[in-house]
Amino acid sequence: MLESLLYFIQQLINGLTLGSAYALIAIGYTMVYGIIGMINFAHGEIYMIGTYVAFLAITAMGMLGIEYLPVVFLFALLSSILVSSAFGWSLERIAYRPLRGSNRLIPLISAIGMSIFLQNYVRLGQGSRDVALPSVLTGGWTFGPDDGFQASLSYMQLLIFIVTFISMSLLTSFISRSRTGRACRAVAQDMKMANLLGIDTNRIISLTFVIGAALAAVAGVLLGMQYGVANPFIGFIAGLKAFTAAVLGGIGSIPGAMLGALILGIAESMTAAYFSSEYKDVVSFGLLVLILLFRPTGLLGKPEVEKI
Amino acid sequence: MPKTISRKLLISSAIALALSGTAQAETLKIAIAGPVTGDVAQYGDMQVIGAQMAVEQINKAGGDLTLEAKVFDDACDPKQAVAVANMIVNEGYQYVVGHLCSSSTQPATDIYEDEGILAVTPASTSPEITKRDLKMIFRTIGLDSFQGPTAGRYIADTIKPKMVAVIHDKQQYGEGIATAVKSTLESKGIKVAMFEGISKGDKDFSALIAKMQKAGVDFVYYGGYHPELGLILRQSFDKGFKVKFMGPEGVGNKDISTIAGEASEGLLVTLPPAFDTRPENKALVDAFKAKKQDASGAFVMTSYAAVQVIADAVKGAGTQDPMKVQSYLRANTFKTPMGTIGFDAKGDLSSFDFEIYTWHADGTKTAVQ
Repeated sequence: MLESLLYFIQQLINGLTLGSAYALIAIGYTMVYGIIGMINFAHGEIYMIGTYVAFLAITAMGMLGIEYLPVVFLFALLSSILVSSAFGWSLERIAYRPLRGSNRLIPLISAIGMSIFLQNYVRLGQGSRDVALPSVLTGGWTFGPDDGFQASLSYMQLLIFIVTFISMSLLTSFISRSRTGRACRAVAQDMKMANLLGIDTNRIISLTFVIGAALAAVAGVLLGMQYGVANPFIGFIAGLKAFTAAVLGGIGSIPGAMLGALILGIAESMTAAYFSSEYKDVVSFGLLVLILLFRPTGLLGKPEVEKI
Repeated sequence: MPKTISRKLLISSAIALALSGTAQAETLKIAIAGPVTGDVAQYGDMQVIGAQMAVEQINKAGGDLTLEAKVFDDACDPKQAVAVANMIVNEGYQYVVGHLCSSSTQPATDIYEDEGILAVTPASTSPEITKRDLKMIFRTIGLDSFQGPTAGRYIADTIKPKMVAVIHDKQQYGEGIATAVKSTLESKGIKVAMFEGISKGDKDFSALIAKMQKAGVDFVYYGGYHPELGLILRQSFDKGFKVKFMGPEGVGNKDISTIAGEASEGLLVTLPPAFDTRPENKALVDAFKAKKQDASGAFVMTSYAAVQVIADAVKGAGTQDPMKVQSYLRANTFKTPMGTIGFDAKGDLSSFDFEIYTWHADGTKTAVQ
């Protein structure tokens, strides 16, 4: 009895960690969709770049002999956010802005092109092999009897929860309280009208891409430290899962993306725990199909009034 | 198909030319097809350096056959492998060394067989590839159906675990070996408690590891490649799940130690014999060293041998006609860095032994037996 309970708790922790990571990436998809109504298919690559920058930053700190963890972590986080945001901003300038106002499919294709470009850009610069980083933060707590199954929560998992929670709270209060946040919401509601009222829509759209990229960078740093491995192709699967989470929660809705990501993470973990890892993806995508059948706008999405 | 007709015309005119007595040195064009990019590109590197070294050595030795090789990249992706195979056909190659991943070799060899191109794979170990009565497909490596039982017998006879988990990556190669290991273990009376697939490219295996911990698993066999096993090892180590792991040659390269670090110490791996440590290959290994290349990769010598048997068979048969060369290959034995090898009716090696090695955290290995 106790063992089953501990096992359940363990799998819940695993699922929540996975879900938190998906959530950070999913926000980027949902924000861009919410504002310009397009999917940014190069978002997974921004996450991948965030991981690489974090690896470089942590290695650089190691070479300088700085091992005090908070300093290393903050430095990795800041440099990764800075570089990824620059990539997010350029992505919008190159692949979206020149095509604004054209058929919706065209920026979609250019985003896929950017995704392929970024993958190969990193591959040529860093090589196609896996790069690895020794675990920076090790250890954790274990619960349960010494001779039976023990549930464990590692410090790294806790760090992922805390950082995700802080990032999400900051983002939510920024969108709902600040002046720029209000401008974001206005652009999302009606871009043309917002423009007429004197909001610099170009700046808001750039900002959206930058915020999305910054959160993807946070995910890149955290997951890079958690798994310790990166290659130029990790963005694809991470992006696919995060995109699913965003659609599940209702694309365009920020709380929806968080909820969708947590549900997805827990569903994957529980399927692997009680059925088989083989059916993990079947269950998560099956869930997506079911939810879209009964709620086409996703869990928290609002039915969109066609603006055209 | 007009394409085939024109090829036959070309071949016959080439033969006619050859027969007309011009004693000029002939050029034999060989396509090297394998993953030069992608996440298993390091195996492609082994294949390319092995094959190119063979081309170089054979050309240096002289004779009236000059080899010319070109590398084609299939990225270990079945779709791209088909595109590459068509490209090889269109560029007029009659001999292929490749492909590397079984899932790429399978569709590509269908095309080669139809077009009368002779292919020798130095790395694909799936039994399915030579099960289809193909004439033109050979391999210079053993089969999963040899490798699985070798691993299974070692587990059952030497390790004698109580609770075994067999995990695979749902790919043709990984699942094939995992299935062979499972059936060998079961035939020896060892119960396989878990048999599960994971998704290629996954990063988080915590749910799977917790499940194995709860089931009290004391031995894990993994069928697949190193990126996933590296992470499984690393995460198991962090979670305090420290049991013996074993994998096929797909996990046996230095990158597993890069990924898993100290968690890769003690991993058991079935590998083709270390041909590079044999005394008779010393000169060849020195030639690799001179080019700053690593001859110890599992597919370096098999790729070398693949090029060499093609060249020897073309010389022996006295023609570049792939049909005649394939019957020559089946009928004769060839002296290669892998020892003297021959092929059976299916195109497989007549004998090939995998050996068991213990992997170390610094990326080296030591033989177990």
